[in-house]
Amino acid sequence: MPEKKTIDARGAFCPGPLMELIAMLKLVQIGDDIEVLSTDKGTAMDVPEWVAKVGHEMVGVEDKGDHWSVVVRKAK
Amino acid sequence: MIIALSSPAMKDHAMSTRPLFILVCSHEHEKIQMAAMMAAVAAVSETPVRVFVSMGAIYAFQKDLSDDERYQGGRFSDVLKDKKAPDAMALFEQGKTLGDMTIHACSMALDVLGWQEGDLVADLFDGALGLTKYLSDAEQGQLVTL
Repeated sequence: MPEKKTIDARGAFCPGPLMELIAMLKLVQIGDDIEVLSTDKGTAMDVPEWVAKVGHEMVGVEDKGDHWSVVVRKAK
Repeated sequence: MIIALSSPAMKDHAMSTRPLFILVCSHEHEKIQMAAMMAAVAAVSETPVRVFVSMGAIYAFQKDLSDDERYQGGRFSDVLKDKKAPDAMALFEQGKTLGDMTIHACSMALDVLGWQEGDLVADLFDGALGLTKYLSDAEQGQLVTL
């Protein structure tokens, strides 16, 4: 059963949110989702770029007003 | 040797796996920080990273320093400290843990300072290396100097 985990990286600066996401991806199972909450504007663009490059799956990016929610699914 | 690439996708893949060589010479905090950010992000993006630390930059990699002792110089340094930007040494460590990254100290820089590898941040370096060997290796990839 796929699970969803959340990383609250609000307040962290680049590349902190991305590095936290990657560390978490090492720990979860294929098919699991990870949501990154970030106040860093670059995260909403950098994470999809990284995901496309390394072959995971973007679930979505959402502007929550005072932060972004970026959800990634582990694909490999 | 010339390798035929049959599709744009294969060309993109081949380009993306060329190593990134980062030559760090400046002692300035903002350049050490930029080197660490580039190294960490490239390494976790499946690009091999080869870092070479020389000249004044070696001071920032001395073991047992406080943050104020380690990170000095450059107009952006105070901002990085005030905003608690990710620690550069921690970023190098994360890049090594999560990706393919090596860090070598310039053998000349160690020699002129009378330092040994044990004087550097523990568990970060893969040894000392000469510039000639590093530049020879760098012909295989892209070289960035900071």
